[in-house]
Amino acid sequence: MKLDRRTVLKSMGAAVALPAIGRGAQAQATETIVIGGSVPLSGRAAETGLNVNNGYLAAQKFFNEQLNGVEIDGKRYKIDVRLFDDASDPARASTLIQRHLDDGVQFFLGSFGSNIVLPTAAIVERAGKPMMQTGGASDQIYTQGYKNIFCMFPRASRQLYNTIEYFKVLQPAPKSIMFAMANDAFSKTLAEGAIAFGKEKGLPINDIVTLPENITDASSLVNQIRSKKPDVLLATTHDQNSLLIARQLISSNVDVPLLYLSLGPQLKSFRDALGGYSEGLYFQQFWDERSPYKDAFFGSAQKFADYYRQHFKRDIAYHTASGAACIVAYVHAMKAANSLDPAKVRDKLATLDVESLYGRIKFTPEGDGDPVHLGSTVGQVLKGTAEVVFPEASRTAAPVFPAPKWAEKRRG
Amino acid sequence: MTMQTLVDGLVLGGLFSLSAVGFSLLFGVLGVVNLSHGAFVLIGGYAAYTLHEKLGLDPLLALPVIMLGMFCLGYAFQRSVIQWATKRASLLASMLLTYGFALMIRNALVLIYSPDFKSVTPAYAFDSLSFGEVTVGLTRVAALLVSIVLLAALAATLRYSNIGRTIRATAQQEQAAALCGVNIRHVFALTSGLSAAFAGAAGVAIGLVMPFSPPDETLWTVNAFVVVTLGGIGSPAGALVGGLILGVVNTMTAQLIGAAFPNAMMFLLLVLMLVVRPAGLLGNSFKGSR
Repeated sequence: MKLDRRTVLKSMGAAVALPAIGRGAQAQATETIVIGGSVPLSGRAAETGLNVNNGYLAAQKFFNEQLNGVEIDGKRYKIDVRLFDDASDPARASTLIQRHLDDGVQFFLGSFGSNIVLPTAAIVERAGKPMMQTGGASDQIYTQGYKNIFCMFPRASRQLYNTIEYFKVLQPAPKSIMFAMANDAFSKTLAEGAIAFGKEKGLPINDIVTLPENITDASSLVNQIRSKKPDVLLATTHDQNSLLIARQLISSNVDVPLLYLSLGPQLKSFRDALGGYSEGLYFQQFWDERSPYKDAFFGSAQKFADYYRQHFKRDIAYHTASGAACIVAYVHAMKAANSLDPAKVRDKLATLDVESLYGRIKFTPEGDGDPVHLGSTVGQVLKGTAEVVFPEASRTAAPVFPAPKWAEKRRG
Repeated sequence: MTMQTLVDGLVLGGLFSLSAVGFSLLFGVLGVVNLSHGAFVLIGGYAAYTLHEKLGLDPLLALPVIMLGMFCLGYAFQRSVIQWATKRASLLASMLLTYGFALMIRNALVLIYSPDFKSVTPAYAFDSLSFGEVTVGLTRVAALLVSIVLLAALAATLRYSNIGRTIRATAQQEQAAALCGVNIRHVFALTSGLSAAFAGAAGVAIGLVMPFSPPDETLWTVNAFVVVTLGGIGSPAGALVGGLILGVVNTMTAQLIGAAFPNAMMFLLLVLMLVVRPAGLLGNSFKGSR
């Protein structure tokens, strides 16, 4: 081949241009919507953090692999969820969120734990970017006037409204109700909201006990129950503390006709640890895969659960479903906005009202979940399974009250 | 009710004592503040959990095996890590090093066992013993007995056996002991082994009575620190007294003042003790208290 000046220049030009064309073609095929955030994969909040994390990742996997991404304004995008481990540390989470912002991330997912969500929400709000989250329900987050922070749960003080309504219709009506709350922001607000609403409804709330944030011994609570004999004990405690309380009540043979542990019995590991003694325990239940919810992408709550189990080993929990619903909410809002402009997506999130795998997604003007549509139901362990017993519309089984005594459970 | 609270406090105190004695021994003899002590406690708990879940072995029967394994781990830990740090740098360096190790162990436990809480539930986990109006869970009674027996055995070993005398001699005057032919490095490693073995035993006892998860390691290190400050450094009796006082103060505060206040009272006691009697109730002139 003859090499003249023109051929050499053409070849060089082609050599420079081809990779650039290639890069352009590649970028078009793999354009992404980056959604950043942090989750606690280690540290004290890691147990639920992993559930939230898996929910986010399950939705990402589903959209990218089953639906080949999402179409916004005529273009197809893959969803790129970028999560860091914040080690349950609010300071670390704040640094990581700032790093996402510095990297140009436009959409955010929340961590788990109000103490982490509160400072990170402040950073995201200042930057004017939306954050969908399922781990910060403390009232403090929704009384700051934030416009960009949305939560799949109602604020803590409104979460137990259904539970109070259930106590109101109990037969025989309880004569005395005891509250025990762990000394952390979420548990306290949860209990205080329920106490205020319960008193408004005329319930006999006679005793309120505050417990340390991390309990190594629940004997003082057990002794108070032994002497005061309440008909209902409602403890707003996290899983590990709930198990300790239940174990000490059982081994001390102290019965309560209705033992409600806000977190714990919804987990299979909790029910396995107590065996038959978990029968009849009440808890806060936000989601059940058997609920008849339809989802525009997954099909239904049940189909989401099936998809999750096919691809993840970790047991499914309501935080997994609510995590996935955060992505679903984003996709609905982006489609409605027909844009990836954070301000337009934020506006569509604020007015969103759609049915999803997690239930009907609708937010209050302050950004927390609508207490009716996204509020908790009353769960009860019946025949080893976590069932929904109230309200009747969501019921998967009839409630048992009073629950069998420990001695009866011991006999099997 | 007061008697029930007192008994609950003593049971809890037994756990505190057992979990602190290893920390106390290592501090007393080597002068090392082992910030990975709580992580060693948890390793014991997870070992009991694994043996119970996989082999169906009762935690109390698994106790000697776990203590032996932890002894070896503690021995190797001193010879390979702590000794290296104290020789090449300082005791402060060993503190930072053990803190780093605590973080590594915590995350390793997360990787192996997941961050989910675990609990050891043998067949008698929900049974109880009643003495008049006082009722105590069987696992709590078992944990208290394990604590008392092991602490008594350690006290007897330190007081009457040759190795116990060697450890005490090394703790009192390291150079003099070396001049008398004591292999100091071996004694240090033995002490570290004993410390880890007792931490492992505490983990088994804790696993019997309460659920645990990797982040709890901090709690057990802090508790050990408070117990040692109360009871005095380097002696099983000091750990026992400190632990029992802490346990009773804990339950009495919860009962009489409020369930949210035991931690506040615990640290108030710690500050008072540091001001009034820094060597602790049964403190001695071992390395850590000088």
